[in-house]
Amino acid sequence: MSDVSLPAPSVMDRLTPGTKAALLTLLVGALCLALESATEFLPVWPEAWTLPVTEWIGVSLEWLFDIIRPAMRLISAALEYPMVWVNWLLVNTPWPLIIGATVALGWYAGGLSLALMSGVGLGFVLASGYWVEGMNTLALVFVSVPLALTLGLLIGIWSNESARARPWIEATLDLMQTVPTFAYLTPLLLLFGFGPVVGLIASAIYAAPPMARNTLLGLQRVEAEVKEAGVMSGATRLQQLVQVEIPAAATQIMIGVNQALMAALSMVIIAAVIGGFDDIGWEVLLTMRQANFGQSLLAGLVIVVFAIIIDRISARMATSRERFDVRISWVILAVAIATSVLAWAALPAPGDMAVLAPTVEAVDGALTSFTRSAGATLDSIKNNAMFYGLLPLRIGLDGAVLPFTWGFSWTANMSYALFAVAGALGIAVAMTGRMAFGMCLPIIAIIVETGVSDLPWPFVLVGLGAVAWVAGGWKLTRLVVILMLLIAISGLWPRAMLSLYLCGAAVIACAVLGGLLGLLSAVSNPAWAVIRPVCDMLQTIPLFVFLIPVLMFFQIGEFSAFLAIIAYAIVPMIRYTRHGLVTTPPEMLESAVSSGATEWQIMREVRAPYAAPTILLGLNQTILYAFAMLVIAALIGTTGLGQSIYIALGAGDVGLGISAGAAMAILALIADRIVQGFAEERRRALGL
Amino acid sequence: MTASAPTGTPAIAVEGLWQVFGNDAKTRLKDAQGRTGSAPDAAEALRDDGLIPAVQDASFEVKEGELFVIMGLSGSGKSTMIRCISRLVEPTAGSVRIDGEDILSANAKRLIELRREKLGMVFQHFGLFPHMTVADNVAFPLKMLGKSKSERRARALEVIEMVGLTGREDAYPRELSGGQKQRVGIARSLAANPDIWFLDEPFSALDPLIRRQLQDEFLKIQSTLHKTIVFITHDISEALKLADRIAIMRDGKIVQIGTPAQIVLNPVDDYVREFSRDVAKGKHACLDSVIETSDELPEMPDDPKLRIDMTLDEALASCMSCYQHVPVWDREGKMVGFVHPSALAAALQVDPA
Repeated sequence: MSDVSLPAPSVMDRLTPGTKAALLTLLVGALCLALESATEFLPVWPEAWTLPVTEWIGVSLEWLFDIIRPAMRLISAALEYPMVWVNWLLVNTPWPLIIGATVALGWYAGGLSLALMSGVGLGFVLASGYWVEGMNTLALVFVSVPLALTLGLLIGIWSNESARARPWIEATLDLMQTVPTFAYLTPLLLLFGFGPVVGLIASAIYAAPPMARNTLLGLQRVEAEVKEAGVMSGATRLQQLVQVEIPAAATQIMIGVNQALMAALSMVIIAAVIGGFDDIGWEVLLTMRQANFGQSLLAGLVIVVFAIIIDRISARMATSRERFDVRISWVILAVAIATSVLAWAALPAPGDMAVLAPTVEAVDGALTSFTRSAGATLDSIKNNAMFYGLLPLRIGLDGAVLPFTWGFSWTANMSYALFAVAGALGIAVAMTGRMAFGMCLPIIAIIVETGVSDLPWPFVLVGLGAVAWVAGGWKLTRLVVILMLLIAISGLWPRAMLSLYLCGAAVIACAVLGGLLGLLSAVSNPAWAVIRPVCDMLQTIPLFVFLIPVLMFFQIGEFSAFLAIIAYAIVPMIRYTRHGLVTTPPEMLESAVSSGATEWQIMREVRAPYAAPTILLGLNQTILYAFAMLVIAALIGTTGLGQSIYIALGAGDVGLGISAGAAMAILALIADRIVQGFAEERRRALGL
Repeated sequence: MTASAPTGTPAIAVEGLWQVFGNDAKTRLKDAQGRTGSAPDAAEALRDDGLIPAVQDASFEVKEGELFVIMGLSGSGKSTMIRCISRLVEPTAGSVRIDGEDILSANAKRLIELRREKLGMVFQHFGLFPHMTVADNVAFPLKMLGKSKSERRARALEVIEMVGLTGREDAYPRELSGGQKQRVGIARSLAANPDIWFLDEPFSALDPLIRRQLQDEFLKIQSTLHKTIVFITHDISEALKLADRIAIMRDGKIVQIGTPAQIVLNPVDDYVREFSRDVAKGKHACLDSVIETSDELPEMPDDPKLRIDMTLDEALASCMSCYQHVPVWDREGKMVGFVHPSALAAALQVDPA
């Protein structure tokens, strides 16, 4: 800028970026509303402007698939062998031996507590009668995980070695983790043919990124001087990697192994939707469809038990150096072998176990009677949430307010009154100096009146662009606008808005509820002692299992999906909020205390601002979790992109599957970048 | 001073060394040198371009068996300098010759050979391999050399004994104190018996007591091994205590090279003077810095038995009552020159700041 500029800063110069963005959004929103009836292309993206992108993708992929299919079928056939072998081995190994081996491993890694947990857990699986199905699932995991680990390790090393390839690899990993799980399945199904191998490959692909990421992270975190010491000792690059850097990064790499195991298990369960394999995920799905919830809960618990045992043992081996007396492990194993050999004939077949059958029936009965007696209450909870919360958010007050729900119908005058009140309030707030916040009030009024799914597209586009500009400048704005236009052109806009609405509603609920729970956990240790294991548990459970309890009480529908998303996505919000609030540096607290601040003042003035970047990262995780669950929730009735992906899977429509999956990934990516932008800005402001 | 005659090639010869960080540094350095002419101007031009000239036109030689200390504050480029000489970073321009061999043009294979056989390095934060025991850490360079397991173990124990860590050979680095860790670092750098020893601020991360103890032991080891050493530090008293010669660095440039006495007694500019201000000169400068020689001996009635390696403080204390020139003797009792007590006192004068 030259010195010919204005003598005094103009009004525009004095506005903060946030205020400018809000102002622009508000103007566009008002304009859209005013012209809504006059123009046709404003409210909905015109049909004529869309391109048959979905079909193009479908046709070109099918063409590509036709070429590579023979090779892929070969791989699939090759993978079939180890899978069948492992499966045969697991199913035919006497169950006392498997339990004994697991308990021995549990003892070695974590002592009595892990040994007991393994024993009781597997005992429960045996008693449930789902032993064979469980072993089928584990066989898939045990074949897919080594694949994923090898793949992940190689990718991690490659990106560490090649600075040029690194950004591309990282972008691909981002994509692999944001593309919804179901979206993987359709192309794989077409490529590899029907059968469990698809689940195996899908889970190997899904589990490789966390391994690759942790490998890269670990290698990068090896101290520079340790690497230099390797170089100065005259090690070749290969010797440096194998003898110095990889062993020095072992802890982080083991964390990658743990995450890959969990991801693989989760994906194997999800892949059960394809069917064709008698595994535990299929069992859950089947019993859920039959509304046989007692049984479904039992199968779900078997999955949870597997998840917890695998997670705790592998996590302990990754993070703790302590190992317990290996001789005791050998003794346990010897006893197991002896039992298997001596009692070979007398052992009951694991599949025939029905110890828990009466319990299941009792639970089923209790559930039925509970839902019958409390049905009215449950229904009213659901209906209230739908009529007064979710529905207005989706289709707007002008659509949701009807005589039979709210007792009156919405009129145009009411809209004007709403806008007038919001405008007046907004101006009042703006006068107190909080300009940006003041402008947001009328914007919120517009959203509530119109409903997310009916918002005029220019308003959404400009609004998202403006937020992106505040969070990350022009570069981010350009990215966001281009990506959103991509969705619009491919004709997926309405579905994307529906997904955005459900996700948005769930994220808001998570932010408020999770934020409060996080605050509570930060100030009260007893509360954290209760909340923490619940969080641990929720994070270990594969996505699929969340559907069972919500279905039991609220049947199929949007509200159940909403609850399932919240249950899964709330955990990071709680954790990060608490973590941010309790990790304030002690000297900051001491200087606040010595300035005479009360507990509450410290919380508001010191802890909260310091925690802001961390809490924003938690919100970011919550958003990504919500998108991931949204697709799974499509199984129990949501509209939007998740449903499209699910339909595509059923119909083998690879074009729709890929493009809907991409659209979902785009939404997640946009949310991720914007929130990261804000977090980065906060961190910089705090000098972190 | 040791009376070793100057043998032909120096152990390390650095000439016109530049390390510039930034994109396309090589061509832009050449360009800047072409445009400006002098090194400081070229550095200025590079800096204006957004590049970082961390080492600028450095030249010096290290003799065989010499303990050469490079001293400077943080950001002065001393760490980059040692990484250039050891080629842990690729210098932008200039030459580094070790025993006459240009190591900047050595290929990857030759470089590995050099590092295996000729070079050893100690790091500020130890750089120990966290997954190896003390013995395995120390034996690592030997493993790279392809030595057998028993040979490695035997040699490792030998070096571990030299640094006084016997009994700890099977401990892991995480179980050691800072001082012990650096003993391992030193042992590892000596395991393959290199000729050239690089030490990058080896004692800076240790607390003062341990630091002094390790400095003393380091001197003791050096007095038996006679390595050629490049030693980096930011601590002037450490530099003065250990060095045969010191190079002082500032903003990427070497501003002065000299013996401790020269640095203390004849600082080349205010920056160097500022360093030596707090240093008691009499403790660091020796008689050789003030000695006079002449074919014509002055009258010398007293002989307080001054020896050439006495510090100025010691010398002054022994000739408090002399008012005329006194003779100076070497260790063997041969007279090497003379000094006037007033010259001693004058040399001890603190410079006006």
